[in-house]
Amino acid sequence: MTWEQLIWYAAVAILFWVAGAVMAFRGSRKWTAAVASLAGSAVFLTFIIGMWIALERPPMRTMGETRLWYSFFLSLAGVAVYVRWQYKWILSFSTLMSVVFICVNLLKPEIHSKSLMPALQSVWFVPHVIVYMFAYAMMGAVTIFALYLWLKKYDATDEELSACDNLVRIGWAFLTLGMIMGALWAKQAWGDFWTWDPKETWAAATWLSYLLYLHIRGHVKDQNTLFALLIFSFLLLQMCWYGINYLPSAQGASIHVY
Amino acid sequence: MTLQWGYKRAFVRCALLFVAGTALQIAFGDLDNGFLRYPWGLIIALNYLYLLVLIHFQKDRWKWLSQLADHYACTSSLASMVLMTIIFGLTRQDPSTEGLVGLLGFSRMTSSWAFNIMLLYFTTTTGLAVMEDLQHIRKRRVAAVLSHLAVFVLLVAAIFGSGDKLRVTVTLQEGTPTHWGVSRAGEKVDLPFVLTLEDFAMDEYAPKLYVLDAITERSSREFLSVEEVGAEATIEGWQLKAVEYLDMAGHMLDSDEYRAMEHVGAAPAVYVKARNVMTGSTVEGWVSCGSFVFEPSYLFLDNRLAVAMPRREAKHYLSRMNIVDEDGDKRSVEIEVNHPARVGAWRIYQMGYDTERGRWSEVSVVECVRDGWYSAIHIALWTMLAAGVVMFLTAGGRKRKEVKR
Repeated sequence: MTWEQLIWYAAVAILFWVAGAVMAFRGSRKWTAAVASLAGSAVFLTFIIGMWIALERPPMRTMGETRLWYSFFLSLAGVAVYVRWQYKWILSFSTLMSVVFICVNLLKPEIHSKSLMPALQSVWFVPHVIVYMFAYAMMGAVTIFALYLWLKKYDATDEELSACDNLVRIGWAFLTLGMIMGALWAKQAWGDFWTWDPKETWAAATWLSYLLYLHIRGHVKDQNTLFALLIFSFLLLQMCWYGINYLPSAQGASIHVY
Repeated sequence: MTLQWGYKRAFVRCALLFVAGTALQIAFGDLDNGFLRYPWGLIIALNYLYLLVLIHFQKDRWKWLSQLADHYACTSSLASMVLMTIIFGLTRQDPSTEGLVGLLGFSRMTSSWAFNIMLLYFTTTTGLAVMEDLQHIRKRRVAAVLSHLAVFVLLVAAIFGSGDKLRVTVTLQEGTPTHWGVSRAGEKVDLPFVLTLEDFAMDEYAPKLYVLDAITERSSREFLSVEEVGAEATIEGWQLKAVEYLDMAGHMLDSDEYRAMEHVGAAPAVYVKARNVMTGSTVEGWVSCGSFVFEPSYLFLDNRLAVAMPRREAKHYLSRMNIVDEDGDKRSVEIEVNHPARVGAWRIYQMGYDTERGRWSEVSVVECVRDGWYSAIHIALWTMLAAGVVMFLTAGGRKRKEVKR
């Protein structure tokens, strides 16, 4: 499997995802849309696994490789939300976001090397990245949801807000797992649990910001404040994910450069 | 007490703490955590915990104490930490004290008064939440109780244990017993054990060939990874083929011809045939990254482009060493990145080697770390992992209950 084959696997996956999204939108049976979307995710996962085998290492080292996982998990998060709460628009949005990240990968192809530096050769590498990418995907889904609720003409219902909370809870739980696995790994590799590396600092800011949402959610009545906080938290997450690659204060200061 | 008034007052308190921290920063400079060395760090931590227990049980009598533990205090301290962390992330961390960020201590955030005061305040509100959780544990959610507790233990260990950590860099020469190293502050530190490096070994990845442009001094993005003889790739309009590969090679002073050589200082070498895709012209010759004995060799394709091999990347490197501890017990260990060895309260990490000599290094640089709070932090981290799992498992369930209500 090579990076050049991404376009074919992506095309098939996107066809399935779009089919799932259309079925959901038209109000087809829940599981028909879900299975179509899952088929797309399975095709995409086949490409990821193929890359894993071809590279002889987990495809999680470069930014492009993390985007593959993000697209994959976003599609899964979309299906999970759809099956759970039947929002007919969610599959369209998760498909759109997955496609955006696939397009970035197609327009900015990367040269993949098999080498994996010794520090990355750890049992924590795969769970740390996968858990984080799943958390990012959940937070991506909740951001879309929050934007949708914010822009709607009428106030969000209790059920909609509760769905938002649950997505944040799941996402935050995974952010926590990713961060703790990172700390345990760092201790094993370098002797420090936490070093305030720019990536860690922004991960902490993101984690604290979503935690703030979970703490004020039951107390603040103004829905706009809640949605604004969710979108602000997602901006912090972007800074943590790839923003630090461009941030002047982080240049040359982070070991998390990829 | 109205909602708005509560938040407003709580945030004013945070702002006042920040101003106080900044004033202390300007007056006294950075916060030195040297006073937190064992046993003082532990004694102060125990007193702090005692104080929190006192506050918890007295807070119903005194309004100002209850205001340390209410929702407004919690959320305002949390929001302040979000803000401080964002400032932290936006400020380049270096030892300079110049400019406004330097004066306010933001460029050395972990030693700044404002950050540490805000962190202590956040720890206090978290600690009081833990007391409340423990007293009314039946009414609380498991994930919240576990995460409050774990975050609190982590923060207490991070703050009061910060002066206890000792990191000692030890440079080991093969066969030479060593019992001392240099701390981060540059001081010589005696270790309670003796380390002797028996052997340093390294595995490297296959060599990679790039095309260099002599005019722009840039290397091609694409490369040819020589994993086997016959490997091919087209780079910058040239089709490169690895015809012969020697893992350990050398050449005579008067010859460019590489031949197999099992000797210290041997370098990898690849015999490359290159064909210009447009013109069909061919060039061939040896390419090597060289070593501390041999100069690198390039294959010039034309008067502008050349094939070059950068030094190979390390795949694994490990140090076999024996350790004699204080009781005179001797044991042999292997350490590598991600696999430290443990001696009592110390852990020994593989850090580096003589990069000039690479696989032929006879030196291994290790770091010995003593961390008295290791167990507390480890338990707290695993508790937090458990909290994350519980939170994930119970996240969906809450909605159903709310809907029923």
